[in-house]
Amino acid sequence: MPRLATLPQIQRNMLLTRAVEENDAAPRAVLSGPLAESTVAIVTSAGIHCRGDRPFGRDDPSFRVVPSTAGGADLLQSHSSLAFDKTAFVRDVNVVFPVDRLAELVAEQRIGRVGPRHYSVMGALHDVTAVRDETAPELARRLVDDGVDVVLLTPT
Amino acid sequence: MVARRLEEAGLVTVSISLIREHTEKIKPPRALWVPFPFGLPLGHPDDAAEQRAVLDAVFGLLDDPEFPVLRDFGGELAEGETGTSIQAAAVEQSAVAVSLADEVTVMRRYWEQWTERMGRTAVGVSGVAPVRFRGVVRFLEAFVDGRQRTLPEQGETPLPLFIRYCADDLRVLYLEARLVMKPGEAQADTQRWFWGRTALGAFLRTLRDVMNDSDDEQMRACAYGIAR
Repeated sequence: MPRLATLPQIQRNMLLTRAVEENDAAPRAVLSGPLAESTVAIVTSAGIHCRGDRPFGRDDPSFRVVPSTAGGADLLQSHSSLAFDKTAFVRDVNVVFPVDRLAELVAEQRIGRVGPRHYSVMGALHDVTAVRDETAPELARRLVDDGVDVVLLTPT
Repeated sequence: MVARRLEEAGLVTVSISLIREHTEKIKPPRALWVPFPFGLPLGHPDDAAEQRAVLDAVFGLLDDPEFPVLRDFGGELAEGETGTSIQAAAVEQSAVAVSLADEVTVMRRYWEQWTERMGRTAVGVSGVAPVRFRGVVRFLEAFVDGRQRTLPEQGETPLPLFIRYCADDLRVLYLEARLVMKPGEAQADTQRWFWGRTALGAFLRTLRDVMNDSDDEQMRACAYGIAR
């Protein structure tokens, strides 16, 4: 993405007024083994879900579960933003949800395995309180229960 | 923000960042800033090598001695890319002779070739089957004309959202059709075609204007996701 300074003013203003959590430091979990023996899952804010699931609404803080067996034919994107061009997702879901690339990494034994489920939320929220206080902790509980070690977070 | 909550629970996270300025403030534990437009944080469609390089770089952050770490993937936007999608307001609209319903029928034929070729489609958020998209057009046109018309697929979905899902599905059907009509066309040119030379591009502008004139706050809010 170009720096904000290079974007059209209307979009720059929109992004600058987005709710952003400011921090001075970061919490640090420690990986207990090598990546080649770890379980990896995706959490995306691209508003992706399985066909037949309830689409995301505007400013929707809920999440969707995407079984890791789901392929491109099973996935839809109901993210409400027009800031991005959906043509890329239409052509190849891996541009934002790299399920095929992760499968290749497992086959090459670069990562141990993919977790049983991935998770998806809606980005570009005007109020992130519910995601911070409810959705993210619930995702953490589920990912721990899924036996996941490493989480790849993708925006859109 | 989500990364921080996961990390607090003992999960190790790696993140891809599209807006470096935001990531610098949030300070996720490990992030990779990439030079791609919104919508494709892993790199360009059908470019597995580029996507793999991004994954190599982002998983490589696990071994980075710095913490928290924000690294740049490197590179710049490709030629012709602006980082964000071209919007209706940026495209001059040409007169379109065909009716929207007839145009949708033509596009559906191309779309059928796409689904046959690819074995998948990104159309589906409205829940209406594409063979009934002329009905979707009648539903949307009735709304614009101030008449009430319903589709059973709306169910309990609030009207503003259902209108957006219908508009999204029509737009995606056109994008998939265009990939058959003009394979290899630059994404920006596809957007210029959509907003400048299709009856749907013109209609979505009108739909947005009608939604913006509504007394319903949700209707006005959803208008922003129809056309800009």
